[in-house]
Amino acid sequence: MSGANQRALVLLVAGFTIWSVGFVALYALQALGCAFGWPQHRAILIGAYVVSLLPLIWLAMMKTVREGEPATSLSVAALWANRAALASGVLVFLPVTFVSACI
Amino acid sequence: MLLAGCSGELSALDPAGPRAASLATLWWIMLGGAALLFALVMVLFGIAYLRPGWLSRITPMQWIVGGGLVLPIPILVLLTGAALVLGEQLLPKGDAPLRIEGQARQWAWSFGYPGGAGPYDGTLHMPAGEPVDIAVTSADVIHSFWVPRLGGKIDAIPGHVNVIRLEADEPGIYWGQCAEYCGQGHDGMQFRVEAHAPEDFAALMAGAAQ
Amino acid sequence: MSSVNHTVLGKRFMVVALTFFAIGGFLSMLIRAQLATPNSAFIGPEIYNQIFTMHGTVMMFLFAIPMFEGFVIYMLPKMLGARDMAFPRLTAYGFWCYLFGGSILIIALLVGAAPDSGWFMYTPLSSRPYTPGINADVWLLGLTFVEISAVTAAIEIFISILKMRAPGMSLARMPLIGWYMLVTSGMMIVGFPPLILGAILLELERAFDLPFFDPTRGGDPLLWQHLFWLFGHPEVYIIFLPAAGALSTIIPVFAQRTILGYRSIIAAIVAMGFLSFGLWVHHMFTVGIPHLALAFFSAASALVAVPTAIQIFAWIGTLASGRPRWDIPMLYVAGFFCVFVIGGLTGVMLAMVPFNTQAHDSYFVVAHLHYVLVGGFVFPMLAGIYHWMPHISGRQSLYRLSVPAFWLIFIGFNLTFFLMHLTGLMGMPRRISTYPSNWGWDWLNLLSSIGGFILTMGFCLVLADLVLQWRFGRRYRRDPWKAQTLEWATATPPAPYNFAALPRVDRRADMLEPAKIGPVLAGARAISASCAMASRKRWASTCSPASRST
Repeated sequence: MSGANQRALVLLVAGFTIWSVGFVALYALQALGCAFGWPQHRAILIGAYVVSLLPLIWLAMMKTVREGEPATSLSVAALWANRAALASGVLVFLPVTFVSACI
Repeated sequence: MLLAGCSGELSALDPAGPRAASLATLWWIMLGGAALLFALVMVLFGIAYLRPGWLSRITPMQWIVGGGLVLPIPILVLLTGAALVLGEQLLPKGDAPLRIEGQARQWAWSFGYPGGAGPYDGTLHMPAGEPVDIAVTSADVIHSFWVPRLGGKIDAIPGHVNVIRLEADEPGIYWGQCAEYCGQGHDGMQFRVEAHAPEDFAALMAGAAQ
Repeated sequence: MSSVNHTVLGKRFMVVALTFFAIGGFLSMLIRAQLATPNSAFIGPEIYNQIFTMHGTVMMFLFAIPMFEGFVIYMLPKMLGARDMAFPRLTAYGFWCYLFGGSILIIALLVGAAPDSGWFMYTPLSSRPYTPGINADVWLLGLTFVEISAVTAAIEIFISILKMRAPGMSLARMPLIGWYMLVTSGMMIVGFPPLILGAILLELERAFDLPFFDPTRGGDPLLWQHLFWLFGHPEVYIIFLPAAGALSTIIPVFAQRTILGYRSIIAAIVAMGFLSFGLWVHHMFTVGIPHLALAFFSAASALVAVPTAIQIFAWIGTLASGRPRWDIPMLYVAGFFCVFVIGGLTGVMLAMVPFNTQAHDSYFVVAHLHYVLVGGFVFPMLAGIYHWMPHISGRQSLYRLSVPAFWLIFIGFNLTFFLMHLTGLMGMPRRISTYPSNWGWDWLNLLSSIGGFILTMGFCLVLADLVLQWRFGRRYRRDPWKAQTLEWATATPPAPYNFAALPRVDRRADMLEPAKIGPVLAGARAISASCAMASRKRWASTCSPASRST
C-alpha cells in the first residue's frame, strides 16, 4: 500500500474516531457530574462540547492530499467523512446545551 | 372512524390524559411525515423504471446532496429537537403533589401510598386531573410499568427506583401491564388503575388510614 | 471434511446458515400458531418462552451473520481477484466452531432445555435464582463458540481485503462491496468482544456465584444491558452493511451503468460504521437513564438515517441514470426498497425518546425490527441468491416459480408485520404467550398469523425453485448478467483456485469485462501450470507472484 493511500485511509477514519472519543467523554462527564453533584456541571459539559469540536473542525478544513498530488477517490471520501464527523459532532452533542442532565 | 379502530383499554392511540395525548400527537405527526417520505422514495423508484427520461437530467451530485443531505437533515433536526423539548416537558421535574410507590415482583404489582396508608388491593388508586409520580422498582427480575392510556412506560429494575409521571383527565378505570419479559407469568401481569375525583381520593386515603 | 478452500467453506457456511434459517422459520410458525387466537392452549408459556428465545437467537446469531460470512468467504477472493482468503485454516476453524456452537443450541431445543430468557438474556432473569436449569448456560456457551467464529471471520475478511487484492487493484479501485466488508469486519472486531465479555461474566456469575449483575450484592443488571447492546446495536448494521454491499453490486448490473456516488458511498459507509456504535442506549430508553444521556443516543439514532438515505438515493439515482432492465433479482431489490424504507422510517420514530416510551417492548418494535432485518437482509439476500446462484451452480434460473414466490413472500411479509405496528400501539407487549380477547388484538393477530403462513409458503417455493434450477437450469457461457466485477471472470462453477492466472487490474474493478478477461486468465493455465497444481492441493497462496500475468 502506498504512502498516500495509507494517509488517506487514516484520514478516512480520523474524524469519526475523534467523534467517538468525544461521544464517550461527554457521556462519562454527564454521568460523573450527576453522581458527584458537580455545581458547574452544565458549564463543564458545554466546555467539553466545544473542545471536542475543535479537532473535528481542524480535520474538516484540512486538505486530504499533499500539495502537488492529485485528489484520489480515497482522499475525497476522507474529506467527506471528516466533514460528516464534524456535522455529527455538532448535532449529536448539541443537547448538552439545553437538556436536563440528571433527570 | 380510523380512531375508533385504535381504541382499546390498553391502546396508546386512545389517550385518557394530557401526557399520553401529547405522545399520541407526536405519533400522528410522525406517521404523516413518514407516509410522505415513503411515497416519495417509492415514486422515484417507480419513475426510474417506468419513465426513466424524467429523471435522467438529475446529476449524481444532485442525487446524493439532494436526497441524502438536503432532504433528511432538516427533517431530522426539527423532529429530534421537538422530541427533546417534549421529553423535557414530560420529565418528572420538581415534586408532583402525590408520589406513589410501585413494586413489581414475579408476577404481580403492589402499590404503596404516602404515610403507609392506602388500600392494598393490587389496584393503583390515583386522583384524576393532577399529575402523579409513580416510583417504580422491582423485588426480583426486571419488569416494566406501562399504563398506555395515561403515559409511557418505565422499567422496574431491582436496585433502582425509577420515577414516571402520569395524569388522567377523568375519573375512571384504566389498565396497566408489565411490558418487559419477566418469565413464565409475564402474560398475566396486568393491573387495574382507578382514577378518582380528588375528594373521593382523599376520602379513600383517609378511610384506609383508619 | 478437512477442506480449507474458501469456495467449499463459503458454500458450507451458507448451507448450514440456511438450515438454521429453516429451523428459525419453523419456530416462528409455532409462535404465529400460538398467537393466532386468544387464550390459546397450543403450547404453554414454558415451551413458548423457549421458542421465541430460540427464534431470535437462531435468526440473529446462527442465520444472519454466518449467512453473510459464507457469502463473503465464497465471493470476496473472487471479487478481489485472489485465489483464497488470507488464512484458509482460520476459515475452516471458524466454520467448525460455528457448527459446534449452533448444534449445542439445537440439541438443547430438542431435549426441551433451550434458553428461555429472551434473545437478549436480561439479568437477573437469566441469573441462577430465576433460571436454575442449564437453559441459560446453553445460550452462553453455545453462542460464545459462534461469536468466536464471527471474530475469526472478521479478522480474516479484514486482512484479506487489505492484503490479497489483485495486482493493480488499489483500495480506491476496489468494488464497493469490498469497502462495505472492510467496514463491517472492522465493526465486528470492535463489536463482538463486549458480548463475549458479557457472556463470560454472566457465566461466571451463574457457575461460580460472582455477583456482577446481582443488585443485592453490589452488582447491577444494567451492566449486562450495556454490554449486550454495545454489541447488539452495531450487530444490526453488521447484518445490514453486507446486504447493502450486495445491493451496490447488483443494482449497477441491472441499471447497466456503474454505481453513482462511489466516493460519497465510501464516506457514508464509514459514517454508518462509527455512528452505529453511538446508538446502543436506544434499546434502553425506558431504564431510567437521565434525559441528556438519552438525548445523545436519540440524536445519533436519528442521524444514522442520513448515510442510509445517501445510499438509498445513490441506488435510485443509479437506476434513474442508467438503462434499467428488469429481472428476478431486481424484483427483490424493489421489495427491499419498499420494506426497508418503512423499517428505516419507523426506526427514526423509535429514536424519539417520548414516542419510544410508548412503543418500546410492544409489537411496534417487533414490526420495526422485522422490517429492518427482513428488508435490510433477507430481501437483499434473496436478490443475491438469484443473482449469484448461477455462479455457484453453473446454471441459470428457470423463472417459472420465481415470480409467484416473490409475491407470496412480499404479501405474506407485509400482512404479518405491517399490522403489528398497530397491534403494538394498541398495547400488546412483546413476548406474551397468550392474551385475553378483551383488548382488541384478536383480528390483528389472526391476520398476522395468516400472513406468516403465506410468507412461509413463499420461502418453500423459493427452495423448490432453487432445487429445480440446480437440477434443470440451462448452462451458460461466462457472465450471464453482463456484470462488470471479477467474480464473473472465473469458470462457473468455479475451480478451487478461482483464477489460473491472477488478473491485473488497470481501472476501477467494477468496470471490467469479465467475459473477455475470463478466457484469457483461464488460457494462462498452461503457462502457470505449477500454480494451478499448487491450488489443487488447496494451497493457493503457495503460488509465486512470478506466475501472474495479464
